[in-house]
Amino acid sequence: MIKMECFLRHRGDVIKWNARLLRLLGNVPPGVHPEAQQWFSTVDTDRSGYISQRELRQALLNSNSTPFNEETCLLMFNMFDTSRSGRMDVFGFSALWTYLQQWKGLFQQFDRDRSGAISTNEMHQALSQMGYNLSPQFIQKLVEHHSPRGQQGAMHLDRFIQVCSQLQTMTQAFREKDTAMTGNVRMSYEDFLAGSIRRLM
Amino acid sequence: MAYHNQYRPPQYNSAPPDQGFLWNIFQRVDKDRSGSISDTELQQALSNGTWTPFNPVTVRSIIAMFDRDNKGGVNFNEFAGVWKYITDWQNIFRTYDRDNSGFIDKNELKQALTGFGYRLSDQFYNTLIEKFDRQRKGQVAFDDFIQCCIVLQRLTDVFRRYDTDQDGWIQVSYEQYLSMVFNVV
Repeated sequence: MIKMECFLRHRGDVIKWNARLLRLLGNVPPGVHPEAQQWFSTVDTDRSGYISQRELRQALLNSNSTPFNEETCLLMFNMFDTSRSGRMDVFGFSALWTYLQQWKGLFQQFDRDRSGAISTNEMHQALSQMGYNLSPQFIQKLVEHHSPRGQQGAMHLDRFIQVCSQLQTMTQAFREKDTAMTGNVRMSYEDFLAGSIRRLM
Repeated sequence: MAYHNQYRPPQYNSAPPDQGFLWNIFQRVDKDRSGSISDTELQQALSNGTWTPFNPVTVRSIIAMFDRDNKGGVNFNEFAGVWKYITDWQNIFRTYDRDNSGFIDKNELKQALTGFGYRLSDQFYNTLIEKFDRQRKGQVAFDDFIQCCIVLQRLTDVFRRYDTDQDGWIQVSYEQYLSMVFNVV
């Protein structure tokens, strides 16, 4: 987990630095990355000044040009639609853009054979570098479950983001329950329901 | 007792619709004439009664339920199941949406789920409303109601698999916990 934060922080620095450079060249509100601003105006197809969930879905693509899956779009939309208004302004969108760049960077780093997708083996390495201790069987199932139809063990960027952020939240949820750090928790039915729904929906 | 034995929605014994009638609908929904209805085609055909697009995640869940060989759509035979599934939910929803507003509020949701056999705390209903109210109205629309019920049912099913003595409590390891959750999402 710590390692992953380092990756993200480092990518963040590079992005911030690029932003400063680019800001000198155009009229971009502070706190908004110029590239994000540019992208915002192409994604905002109805020129409302806001991005809707549908506009976001049309804008997000995997490296094989397939659209991002609904769940990941929704996850990212909710993460940056901080006003919970169902529409995102340029500031939220810029934060989303930065977040996406960070994941893209990680994804490319772990996609060692540059196939455009993460294989079971690559996912194994990725997760252990991020600090997770999970069995090969579990990781294999995870990758299979999140690979496109007809392709075994090939996870695209959308699923990679989805799986990694869900792993992060659910690990956190488990830790909060496992106060004695035994690696086992006892939980009631409603605890389980509420924990899953609150964190995953 | 944390949960009830009977938690599935009541089955409506609606008569199976006429094949010709169904075939007509199937052809209208199958816009590209591929012989299979995709997520997008079904989404465009469905209405949640509130003039907003039908929840795409609900559509995905329903297609996945009836798409037996995982081809990414439903053929005519499978569509009959989809049709019945949606009309059954519609009938259920209507009995709780008494003012026909297209939405059900927290109390109506509570009545519905209690009717299905769920025993859940008041606080938990707040969580459900907060998470499944996609239109942010403090109430749940038809499509989101279906999704809410699907998720609850899946989570309950997976919980039961681990709750072997049926006391409403489980003891699980880290990886077991993750498996339970990832099975559902």
